[in-house]
Amino acid sequence: MSSNGAATTKITLTSSDGTDLSVDREVAERSVLIKNMLEDLGESGEAIPIPNVNAAVLSKVVEWCEHHRNDPPSNHDDDDSRRKATDIDEWDQKFMQVDQEMLFEIILAANYLDIKALLDVGCKTVANMIKGKSPEEIRKTFNIQNDFTPEEEDQIRRENEWAEE
Amino acid sequence: MDEEAITDSGIPLLQGSSYPPHFTASSLSASFKLDEGYSDETRGQLNCDLNAPSHNVMSLPHWLLAQSEADRAVALLVELAYSLLRTVRTSTVAAIVERLAPLLHKDPVIILPPEITFEIFSYLDAKTLIAASAASRAWRNRVLDSRLWRDLYIREGWLADTEAIEKCEQAYSGSASPQSRKSRTRHPDSDVGEPKLKKRVPPTWLGSHNVGPQSSQEAEDGDRMESDCDGDHDMSDALDDHHTSSADCLLSPTITDGQTGHVLSEPAPHPSVAVYSPLKSSLWTRLPNGSVKLNWQHLYKQRRRLEDNWLKARYTNFQLPHPLYPDEAHGECVYAIQFSGKWLVSGSRDQTIRVWDLETKRLRYPPLVGHEKSVLCLQVDPSPSEDIIMSGSSDTSVILWRFSTGQMIHKIPNAHDDSVLNVKYDKRYLVTCSKDMVIKVWNRRELLPTDTEYPSVYKGGNVTYPSYIIDTTYTSPSTLEADIANGHIQKLAPYSLLMTLEGHLAAVNSIQITDHEIVSASGDRLIKIWDIHNGTCKKTLVGHEKGIACVQFDGRRIISGSNDNTVRIYDHASGAEVACLQGHGSLVRAVQAGFGDPPGAGETMRREAEAVDEDFLETHRSGALADLSPGPSRQQTRDRTSARDPKDIRVLGASIPPGGGGGKWGRIVSGSYDEYVLIWRKDHEGKWVISQRLHQAAAVARASRAPVTSRPPRLMQAVQNQMAHVTAHGSLNAGQSAYPPRFPTDSEGNAQASAGQMTHAQGPTSLAAQPGPSSVAPTPAGPTAPHPQAVVNGQAPNRHRVQLPPHHHHLARRTPNQGFQPVQQMVPRVFKLQFDAHKIVCSSQDPRIVAWDFSCDDEEIAEACQFFIGL
Repeated sequence: MSSNGAATTKITLTSSDGTDLSVDREVAERSVLIKNMLEDLGESGEAIPIPNVNAAVLSKVVEWCEHHRNDPPSNHDDDDSRRKATDIDEWDQKFMQVDQEMLFEIILAANYLDIKALLDVGCKTVANMIKGKSPEEIRKTFNIQNDFTPEEEDQIRRENEWAEE
Repeated sequence: MDEEAITDSGIPLLQGSSYPPHFTASSLSASFKLDEGYSDETRGQLNCDLNAPSHNVMSLPHWLLAQSEADRAVALLVELAYSLLRTVRTSTVAAIVERLAPLLHKDPVIILPPEITFEIFSYLDAKTLIAASAASRAWRNRVLDSRLWRDLYIREGWLADTEAIEKCEQAYSGSASPQSRKSRTRHPDSDVGEPKLKKRVPPTWLGSHNVGPQSSQEAEDGDRMESDCDGDHDMSDALDDHHTSSADCLLSPTITDGQTGHVLSEPAPHPSVAVYSPLKSSLWTRLPNGSVKLNWQHLYKQRRRLEDNWLKARYTNFQLPHPLYPDEAHGECVYAIQFSGKWLVSGSRDQTIRVWDLETKRLRYPPLVGHEKSVLCLQVDPSPSEDIIMSGSSDTSVILWRFSTGQMIHKIPNAHDDSVLNVKYDKRYLVTCSKDMVIKVWNRRELLPTDTEYPSVYKGGNVTYPSYIIDTTYTSPSTLEADIANGHIQKLAPYSLLMTLEGHLAAVNSIQITDHEIVSASGDRLIKIWDIHNGTCKKTLVGHEKGIACVQFDGRRIISGSNDNTVRIYDHASGAEVACLQGHGSLVRAVQAGFGDPPGAGETMRREAEAVDEDFLETHRSGALADLSPGPSRQQTRDRTSARDPKDIRVLGASIPPGGGGGKWGRIVSGSYDEYVLIWRKDHEGKWVISQRLHQAAAVARASRAPVTSRPPRLMQAVQNQMAHVTAHGSLNAGQSAYPPRFPTDSEGNAQASAGQMTHAQGPTSLAAQPGPSSVAPTPAGPTAPHPQAVVNGQAPNRHRVQLPPHHHHLARRTPNQGFQPVQQMVPRVFKLQFDAHKIVCSSQDPRIVAWDFSCDDEEIAEACQFFIGL
């Protein structure tokens, strides 16, 4: 996409299961972790090990970074004002249509690699899965065992009556 | 063998079906991991959230075919599995799917660390979070995270007294730590879940609720942090990090939830606990390090319950003075009140100022005597740095009192040529306004021309400066310095007149000051905005059809109440009227608005306002509003409460949306001569509607019989009637008061001066309060209202009274008041009100000050109220 010469520099990432991925440096630098590593390492050309992320997840993350390579840098100041919004852009929604295990692994990888925007999209996706649901629906969605006794459930329900509007 | 496996997992439906042994769940799992396309299919059947459009498995995506051989093998495996599944009954498939569910549905609270679930939960609303907290113990731990609820609280647009919170946290932490350390060493390895958190009463309750053997000091120390030695360790042992621990602390008083998974009922109270605290509190929470933090989930919950009480009109009433001490009451009607913390200050027609303790409902000290006529207005600041009461009177003076002692410390004898109707001050200035139609600005500290607070002289405006004010425009700073040095320029003493602002054509009834501006409202129907530094009038707001009695300014909106019976909201930036609230049957004498702006509200509202304008213009272009030409005629359209309907848009170009914007908890409280206090709220469209009608006299009746008293209700009623009668005639048996007020010699004249503030530009006499019979029909409300100019004449006919029963009084606006009786002074006109997070206090023609307390005797709400700040 980019015609910028510097952007076409390729670097190699090695996943936890030993797979190498060749990625544009510009794309990889959406990860603050990788960006900092590259700055520390200089232009050594060595593969960068990503020990916490397997190949399947890493390629998903790279796919996301590719798509968002030209995004403006995120503005941390307006974090609070936009916090409420859980809208996700269409491409990201599609991208996040994966099974739950993959979804959570992407979130963990985004957290580890320090890709704030991807982490946000992941968290919003999970939040949207919870939103407006009853306790039972939430349990079903995430296969959660209800470990409350009926008496406790009763008590919790009474305590939570204030939230019923 | 297949059957056996199936039986083990409790699924009996697969008998007789073929099921390849190697085709285990884990192999399926691996394929899901690599290929979301297929997992979507399966999850679709499970009605999962992440539904993608179902792919037909038979037509493999071309990119898959391009994958490595291993991947293709997986793909083939998937194909095989699918084909196999298609050969069995649907019920069988369902059973398999159920068996696979654990692989497809993962619990994020188990997989993801607390900081990430915190992020996830921060996108959710309170209702969803409360549902989520009931999903499982682990979820409960994470969801009841104090920080999460603090953010929610702030986003609701609510304010909290963070200073008081920090103080309490420090106080409680200090006394708690030694004991908690001890307890941890005593039970280092125990993992028995026990309540970690003991409830204690807040210090404010100690006096009245502790009946223990200890001295009050001991009781207080113990209560500050009732350390639960046995339970304390649980928090530190069971929790892996700070984050979860704070969540864990938030569990309800009776359910604890450590990693141990125990949920226990609270054990029988320890004997000493019973002594300390008959009241339980979940307001505080102790961290593993022994420090005490506010439990924001609890605070949020109590605020919601409190707001619900406002919505549903659940309140208790109280009055000042305490019904058992009627002698402490003002001798006549009360024109001014202001409360701050536990103190309330009132000013009355009986010429006194009284300071009340809101906890005991008693006088703090004998009434302040100094004014020679009615006290019409006051402002108080009990904080140690100020410690003053400033009051204005019909006697044209302004008096400055020491709040803590009640001592008069300064008097401006003839501040105005007529009654001083309002006083407002900040650290720099005192601003006064009067029936003499002017506003005056005074300095509060010694002032030199080189000070920034010194007035900058502006020539040609409606502002005049005393001769001692130096025009510094053409004088170089060095010359000024020299003149000051050699004594040619003296410091201005505090409370020197700096400037006089002229421009209003009738009494200036109300003012408000901000950093740079003065906002004034007058009987001439206008609101004016003045520059506080040079006194020039920057803007004039029109809209009210009769004189304006009260005004408030919150930095964005100006809210005013008028003799035209309406409350109006103006956009400060553009001067546009954005709402007109109709509901009162008479003059609106007092108004307070809290818009409850959440963080970032300014930007949101600007965008909303633009969208509304755009909508209107669009509708206009399309011809739907052909009958509504822009300009003055639009002001007479039917709109009275401002909704988003393009037909209802009053003005364009406002920086705030119709209605004035604000958060969903926004509230306006208005008080009127119709004896009602109205609580307004925005409906879902942002339109202000009446949420509650509170009847002043009914509240007095309830408040006066609230405590146990030997007086039969009938007698109380008789006393009340007597009071009303006495008030009506402007005289009172002095023997009723412990502090007999000095009565004005001309009590009727005084009434004129104080209540006659609504003088119109056109009418020489009071329009609002002139007593006596009247046969004048009220001004009809709504679009048919004649232009005010046409109505007003020398006879000052604009006043009307509502004689109908409360629930009918809106009808009175439409039907002329035929049977007007000369008993209108019986009506307890509301003169002043103030509300905070949990109460409305109101003064009226009744000498008793009355309040509605929406904490409604709920102990948990009352406890939380100490940290709530009103909207």
